[in-house]
Amino acid sequence: MTAYAMGIDFGSTTAKVVILDESGEMAASAISQKGAVSDEGVRMALADALQQAGIEQSAIRKVVSTGYGRRMLDIADRSITEITCHARGAVALVPQARVVLDIGGQDSKVIAIDANGLVARYAMNDRCAAGTGKFLEVLARAVNIELERMGSVALEATETVGITSMCATFAETEVISLLAEGHSRPVVLAAVHQAIANRTVGLVGRVGKRDPMVMTGGVSHNIAAVHYLEKALATSLIVPPGAQTAGALGAALFALDDLRAEAAEPGKRIADEDDGVLAEPLECKPACEKKGLFAKLFRS
Amino acid sequence: MNAILERLAGVAQNPYEYVKAWKQEHGGRAVGTLPMHCPAEVIHAAGVLPVVLQELADPITSGGGAFFPFFCGYTRSLVDQATEGKLDFLDAISFTDHCVQLLSAADVMRIARPQIRIHFHQLIAALDEACSLENSVGILHSMATDLEETLGVTITEDDLRASIRLFNENRQLIRSIYDMRRSGSIRLRATQMQHIVKSSMIMDKQEHNALLRELLPQLQQAGKPPRDALPMYASGHLCHAPRPEILDLIEDCGIAIIDDDLYHGYRYVSTDVDESIGDPILGIATAYLNKNDNAPCPTRLAPHTDWNIWLRDKVTECGAKGLIVLLAKYCEPHYFHYPRIKATFESNNIPHLLIETEHEGIAMENLRTKVESFAEITKRRQ
Repeated sequence: MTAYAMGIDFGSTTAKVVILDESGEMAASAISQKGAVSDEGVRMALADALQQAGIEQSAIRKVVSTGYGRRMLDIADRSITEITCHARGAVALVPQARVVLDIGGQDSKVIAIDANGLVARYAMNDRCAAGTGKFLEVLARAVNIELERMGSVALEATETVGITSMCATFAETEVISLLAEGHSRPVVLAAVHQAIANRTVGLVGRVGKRDPMVMTGGVSHNIAAVHYLEKALATSLIVPPGAQTAGALGAALFALDDLRAEAAEPGKRIADEDDGVLAEPLECKPACEKKGLFAKLFRS
Repeated sequence: MNAILERLAGVAQNPYEYVKAWKQEHGGRAVGTLPMHCPAEVIHAAGVLPVVLQELADPITSGGGAFFPFFCGYTRSLVDQATEGKLDFLDAISFTDHCVQLLSAADVMRIARPQIRIHFHQLIAALDEACSLENSVGILHSMATDLEETLGVTITEDDLRASIRLFNENRQLIRSIYDMRRSGSIRLRATQMQHIVKSSMIMDKQEHNALLRELLPQLQQAGKPPRDALPMYASGHLCHAPRPEILDLIEDCGIAIIDDDLYHGYRYVSTDVDESIGDPILGIATAYLNKNDNAPCPTRLAPHTDWNIWLRDKVTECGAKGLIVLLAKYCEPHYFHYPRIKATFESNNIPHLLIETEHEGIAMENLRTKVESFAEITKRRQ
C-alpha cells in the first residue's frame, strides 16, 4: 500500500492541507477559509484533501503541522514553524528563490534563503496586523467591497493618495475620511495596497533585498498587492502556482523526509532528532484543550 | 517545586510585600536603590535593608501623565509607582545614575513624593581615567554621609566590611549556581535563576545566604537538564527583569538558557569587592571600576572593553549555540550598542535573535514563532 505524507498549515484565517505520495508527487492540495484557527476549517481541508487524493486517513503515515494553530493538532507527528515551512515550500516551487515574502492573514514574514535553500534570516511584523491580510480585510469592510475584488478595483486607480496610519483601526478611519473627501474607491484601495507594500519594504530591508523574490501566502492572490509590492521593491515578484499552500507543501516535504527516514531505518523515532527544537510545554496551555479533538474529527 | 525555590519565587513575584513584612517584623528601615551600579553595601552598612526597585507588571496609570511615553518600561513603571504611592513604604531612595531616563525619573519622583528622601549620587561614567578612582571614592563617601544624616546613624569601617563580606558571599553562592548551570550539572530554568537573583535584590542578605547554602546541595541532587535542549546565552535587560513568561516561552521552545549577562542574572553578581583592600570604600570603588571587565555596561566608558566582543567570547566559552538579545524598548544605551552586537555575531556566523520587550507586553504567539524558527535554524546549522 502506498504511504503518504501530509502537511497541514493551520493558519490564522485559512487551513491548508497538502498530501504527497512516497515519490514526492502531490496527491492533493486543499484550502478552507473558515476564520481564525477554525476547527471546522481544518476539518474541511483535511476531508477535501483525502477526497482529492482518493485515500483513507490510514494511508497517511507522517503528518507535520505548521501555522499559528500548529500546536493544536494532535494528529501531527511534529510541528514546524511557518517560517521554516514556507521557505521549504517556496524553494520547492521556485528552486532559485533567495527571498520569500509570505503575507498571510495575521502576519507578514520576509525570509532570506541561503545557498543551500535553508532559512538564513527572517523578519516578521510583531506589533500589529498592519501589512497583513487582516489589514486588507478590515479595510475591505470600510470600503464596502468583497475582499476578492479589492485588487482588481485598486488597479483601476488613476491617481494616488497616501494613508499615513499603519494601525488597521486608524487606517479605517482615514479611509472613511478619504471617501468622505470624494476620493474614488479605486484611489482609496490603491492607497491601502501601497500602505501594505511600504510596510513590507521595511521588513525586506531587515533581511536584505535579493532576487529572485517569491511571494507566498493568501495575499499573493491579490494582484494589486503584488503590483504595489513590485513597484515599491523595484523588482518582479514570482508568484508560483500553489503560492497560498507553500507552507503546507513545506510541511508535507518535512513529513516526507520523516517517512523516508523511517523507511530507511525502521523503528527509528524521527522526533528524536528534533526533540530539542520542539520540547513539550511545561504546562498545558489553552491550546492543549483541543488536543484529541482533531484526531477524533479526522478519524470519524 | 523545591520549597526554597518556591520561597525565592514568592519574594521575586511580590518584592515589596516582602519588604513591608520585613520592616514590620524587624522594626527596621528600607532604602530603595536603582539597578546596575548602586553600591548597596554602603546602604546595608547603615543598618537598613537595601531594596532594588523593581518594575511592576501593573499598567502605567497616573505616572503616564507625569512622564514621557517614549521612555523605557522600567522608568515609566518607577514613576507610576511613585505617583501611585506604591513606594511610600520606603524610608529613602538612593539613585546612582546610569542613563538619562533614570535621571529624569528621579526628578519626577522627587516632585511626586516630596515626603520620600531621595538621594542622588553620580558615579563617574569613565572608568579608565586617572581621576576615576579618586572621584568614585569621593562620591561613595558623600553617599555614606548623606545616608548617615538622613537615617541618623553612623557608618563605620567595620560595618562596611561586614556588609561587603555578606554581599560577597551572596554573589559567590549565586555564581556557583551559574557555574553548575553552565556545566550542565543542574536543571534550573531561566525563570528560577531569575527568582534566585531577583530575590537577592530584595531580601535580607543573611536570610538569602542561608537559603542559598541550603539550596545548593539540593540542586546538585535534582538531576541534569534534558540532553537535547539547545544551549543559549541571554543578554540585555540592563535594569529590570525580563518577564518570566518570556523566559518560559523561550525554554518551552526547546532552548536552555545556560548563561546570561542580564541585570537580573549574572550581571548582578559578576564582581566581588576585594576584602583585602584595607579601606572598604576604596574596595567598593575599585570593584565599581573593575565591574566592566566582568559584565560590560553600555553606560560606562571603558575603552578596553567592547561589549560585543566580550559577548561573542562569553557565548563561545559557555558552550551556547547562539545569543538571545532581550532589549527593553526605548533603552537607549542598549539601542546604541545593539548594531555592534548584531554585526559581531553576523560576522562570526553565530546565530542570534533580537527580542524587543515592552512594559505593556508583547504578542506571545508571534514571539513563539520567532523563537521556534530561531531554534530550528540554529539546530540545522549544527
